[in-house]
Amino acid sequence: MNQHQQVNEGSGGRQDDDAVLSEFLASLMDYTPTIPDELVEHYIAKSGFQCPDVRLIRLVAVATQKFISEVASDALQHCKARQSAVIKDKRDKQQKDKRLVLTMEDLSKALREYGVNIKHQDYFADSPTTGMDPATRDE
Amino acid sequence: MSNGGGESGEKECEQSTKGRFGSGEEFGRAIAKIAVAQICEGAGFQSFQSSALETLADITIRYIRNLGQNANSYANLAGRAESNVVDVFQGLEDLGMTQGFIGLSDVNRCPIGSGLVREISQYVSLEEEVLFPFNVPRFPVVKERKAGPSFLQVGESSPEDHVPDWLPKFPDHLLYVSSPVWNPRPLDVPVDKTDLTKEQKKVERPLMNLQHQFTCNGSAPPVFADPGDAATTKGAGQGNPFLSAPLWFGEKEVTPLVYPAKLESHPQNHVLEERVAPVIDKVKSSLDSEDSRNKIILNSRPSVQFKLGTSKKLLTSAMGLSPQRKTIEKTACCFESDDEKDEKKRGKERIVKGPMDKTQELDHL
Repeated sequence: MNQHQQVNEGSGGRQDDDAVLSEFLASLMDYTPTIPDELVEHYIAKSGFQCPDVRLIRLVAVATQKFISEVASDALQHCKARQSAVIKDKRDKQQKDKRLVLTMEDLSKALREYGVNIKHQDYFADSPTTGMDPATRDE
Repeated sequence: MSNGGGESGEKECEQSTKGRFGSGEEFGRAIAKIAVAQICEGAGFQSFQSSALETLADITIRYIRNLGQNANSYANLAGRAESNVVDVFQGLEDLGMTQGFIGLSDVNRCPIGSGLVREISQYVSLEEEVLFPFNVPRFPVVKERKAGPSFLQVGESSPEDHVPDWLPKFPDHLLYVSSPVWNPRPLDVPVDKTDLTKEQKKVERPLMNLQHQFTCNGSAPPVFADPGDAATTKGAGQGNPFLSAPLWFGEKEVTPLVYPAKLESHPQNHVLEERVAPVIDKVKSSLDSEDSRNKIILNSRPSVQFKLGTSKKLLTSAMGLSPQRKTIEKTACCFESDDEKDEKKRGKERIVKGPMDKTQELDHL
């Protein structure tokens, strides 16, 4: 339905879009995405995607890379926010200006906005009564 | 750019070990981890929690698969088997619904004309190119399976009408024809009790002889020596070394039942005699005799030191796979508890107890 309307509406718009598209695809071939082509090819082949065109594979790789970099930058912002919140004085700042580590906490916060809900276990206990007060434990 | 050298080195090790296992699954995940780590490094991170990295790699793979699935279903919806760029963009739109992009609200939009393309092209132009460090081979590698020669290739014609000649040849009939099983040895020890007693009776005499030897301190040859019997036992025990007549002391060095010379001259031998006599003479249940024997054992604790490990081997090796050893296994099972107790106390009397147990059992039977 959508496509019918598009066909009917305007060929002018389509030409613009085509120009944009071809330009984009050309620029895509210059850029080598970090995610290797073989990996992307393997996984999209698993999902049934069939296409002999390598540009589409690059497109998928670039789109994924964009997504991951967005998530990473969000997580970085969370991490920096936590670090700056702890700063009290100069001494603390120097202490806390340590390496920026990608933690599960920051990652889960960042991914929540993208619809991915991750809950990470802080620790694993042997039994339900591990760590409990001995008096309250059932013997 | 600092590569985080230690990290990529670690990834390399992981990659090499994981690449060995199974399908391309582990390998793909390792590659994804490396790629994701590089992207995050470009974003500004200096190190990662391993679980966070693995989670993000997993999400990457899911994203790729989701995108492929969406694009494929859009292509199928349009009646095509192969996807094209429009399908991919439509799939991207679906995935980007939560975040949104410019032009999403426009109902009649073309997927290509939307802000999505612009965003991606912006990303491409602005983003610094970070190359993947390794050369990734095409995976998974599919092993080529070579089919066997067909009937035509060999020059034969298929034996059946319904089997065409271009199909692979049938395997050689010798491979699947069932041949008669090799006959078990006639000396196979039968499991039922009547035969068991027969076997035990065969063993009885030489064992009695052995016991007598202890009582006599090996001074004189035993009275019950029966050459015919010995011959038959030897003949019967041809296949089974445990059923053959026991060797006299000094006859053979390596036999487990051979005791070192000092045992004979040991003054503690009379203690054994004490224990042996009541055991042999009683005709009771094994439990009672066991108790009494234990009492006797408790009273007298000879300090005889043997070279050991053999009796246990006798019993445990009897548990082995050979069917010949079933008699020994049977007897051993009965006396296993006794032996364990002894082992706890001394651990050295089992060899001496062995024949005595057997004689006691035989008496009981």
